[in-house]
Amino acid sequence: MKGTLTQSMAWLHTWCGLLLGWVLFAIFLTGTLAVFDKEISWWMQPELIDRAQPASEAANLAHRWLTTHHPDESNWNVSLPSERSAALGVSVGERRRGGEGVTHLDPLTGDTLEPRETMGGNFFFRFHFSLNLPNMLGIWVVGLAAMAMLVALISGIVIHKKIFKEFFTFRPAKGQRSWLDAHNASAVLLLPFHLMITYTGLVIFFLIYMPAAVDALFEGDRQAYFSEAQPTLAAMRAGERTRPTEAPAAPLVPLGDLVARAEARFGPGMIGGLAVANPGRANAEVTVRPVLGHRIELTKGEAMVFNGVTGELIREPEASRTSQLIQQVMAGLHFAQFGGYPMRWLYFLCGLISSAMIATGLVLYTVKQRRQGTNHAFLKLVESLNVSVIAGLALACIALLWANRLLPTGLEGRLGWELRLFFGVWALTWAHGWVRKPMQAWREQLYAAAALALGLPALDVLTGSATDTVRLSLLACVVAMGLGLGWTAWKIPAVVAARKARAARTAPIDKTPQGVSS
Amino acid sequence: MNGSALFASLVLAYAGMLGFCLGKERHWKQLIDPRVSVRLRPLCAPIGAVLLCLAAFAALRVWPGGMALVGWFGAVSLAGFALLMLIPYAPRVVTMLPVLGGVIWAASLV
Amino acid sequence: MNKHVGSKRPRQHWLVMNRILLAILGGYAFTYAFTAALARVLPMARVDALVAASLLSFVIYLSFILWAFAAASLRRVALVAATAIPLAALGFWPQLLEAVR
Repeated sequence: MKGTLTQSMAWLHTWCGLLLGWVLFAIFLTGTLAVFDKEISWWMQPELIDRAQPASEAANLAHRWLTTHHPDESNWNVSLPSERSAALGVSVGERRRGGEGVTHLDPLTGDTLEPRETMGGNFFFRFHFSLNLPNMLGIWVVGLAAMAMLVALISGIVIHKKIFKEFFTFRPAKGQRSWLDAHNASAVLLLPFHLMITYTGLVIFFLIYMPAAVDALFEGDRQAYFSEAQPTLAAMRAGERTRPTEAPAAPLVPLGDLVARAEARFGPGMIGGLAVANPGRANAEVTVRPVLGHRIELTKGEAMVFNGVTGELIREPEASRTSQLIQQVMAGLHFAQFGGYPMRWLYFLCGLISSAMIATGLVLYTVKQRRQGTNHAFLKLVESLNVSVIAGLALACIALLWANRLLPTGLEGRLGWELRLFFGVWALTWAHGWVRKPMQAWREQLYAAAALALGLPALDVLTGSATDTVRLSLLACVVAMGLGLGWTAWKIPAVVAARKARAARTAPIDKTPQGVSS
Repeated sequence: MNGSALFASLVLAYAGMLGFCLGKERHWKQLIDPRVSVRLRPLCAPIGAVLLCLAAFAALRVWPGGMALVGWFGAVSLAGFALLMLIPYAPRVVTMLPVLGGVIWAASLV
Repeated sequence: MNKHVGSKRPRQHWLVMNRILLAILGGYAFTYAFTAALARVLPMARVDALVAASLLSFVIYLSFILWAFAAASLRRVALVAATAIPLAALGFWPQLLEAVR
């Protein structure tokens, strides 16, 4: 398109990166937070208590509670405490979507707990792949952004001439040079992560994004494809729907025993929950689901099915066929539910650096354009979007945690209010970014975010009392991020002063340094 | 979870990346005392490669099979990033870290 | 092809817009057709062919977009995008046969 390959790719990298960069930053930041979605949810429901109960004990307690309170229901559902979230939840009736109709129990005493209604960490997870847009629109926008990310990555590699020479090069306090160094180095050092996370993200929704093969080979019938690809699982799902309910009464085998047997297969502490069909009847069946993560492959719906009266194993998970395995391993690499906390922390840190990489790219654009003295209206728009998408979104995320504690627990439509507060704060940051000068806006928003982050432990003491490891770890992590935000804000006056000094030294606009040319 | 092996994997990943870094003239001059013989520089990258392999072995003690590969990539990338940040801000710490890490790891075994 | 002469600006924008549309929309059409054709042609069980072709499609789309911007002539990009038609015919030939009957 332009004169040389490098020029074309530089143009493509700049525009693709800029126009989709804001969306990509939001996707990456919320995705990073979603790594700890269950832990965030746990913190956002301080009414729940961690009793350090093994899963089998909790299952027996749930069994007793359900027998006492709902002996005649045809379906029981139990979600068990795990390493990440020590909540014990029970519900009856059809498989519920979301938190509707779930009763939380104290895993030790069996008392009913009433945790506040909250978006939880699940908000970040959903926002990450749908941007809170209606129906499929969000998923498509995210898909487009993911393709743009791949384009930006490859074009970036093509134009980065000194990729090996500058592998470990970062020269701070040199203005545009520093921003370019930070952008290049963070991109290159984490290149395996960037390529992997973007590609696997697309693979998760491959049937939505590229339905061509389903359309051609199965006339677009995804159910038919699923039945052929995973016959056991499809049969199990079909069986769930048509199960007969009339049978003579028979005692249900203790649920804790079945959990213990499932733990022998999936690993201790790796049981997510169980579903009982026709409890207390001769045709009772207990489906025990593992927590995702005993291997990379993302196997949703896999379970061990036991006869509810004799405890005999009826069905156990089968190995997937190779093509399904490959797709599910890729999806699993994105979901990052494997490898325990060490792996989770690796993903989290990589996600933060990736987000920073995108942010440095966005800022680099404005730094460069300001030096070249180009189109003021467009630059103003870009600068205000930069501050509100980068600093503003960080502020909104922490504000959500504050809203969780400050909004009255019994408030009608509490979920809606938490959402309104999140988007309200975010919208305000854009207005703020528009009205204030760029450096002022950055400084004020970063300080605000840092203040909220550093103030979170105090808020927690006043409103919730964190006493377990998960909640304390969350506070420590937020404080650490607050320190980072505060340090960045604190550095800004020095950056401005240095820039002014440089401008005074080199009065006419000098040539752009080696690197990206537009 | 094998904490000692995880720590070893991270320290070895860092040391390996440091090896690749010191193999470059620019960083050798930045980080190494001029009294040290320059003829050692070509050894740095190969030693770095060996250390990265050792980091992979350590990762296999933390996670099974494929997970260890993922963990290794993560450790190497993050170690490289840590190195990137330390060189301009704390150059004297850069070469001390693997030594310190090794001492802590040895102590953790006792 | 890169002239910033004032009177040529609107034509320049028009060409860039065309290239972007060709890359994104034409590229998707091309990738869709290519994936269908590949899934049809691969010598595996249809479930496996589906996964293989679909997973590969993102690389195909990416390559098309990159090439669309690297290519010197817009006409060549349009020509390659147009091969979506024969590829679609290959991918959907049973459905085409049904429709014709």
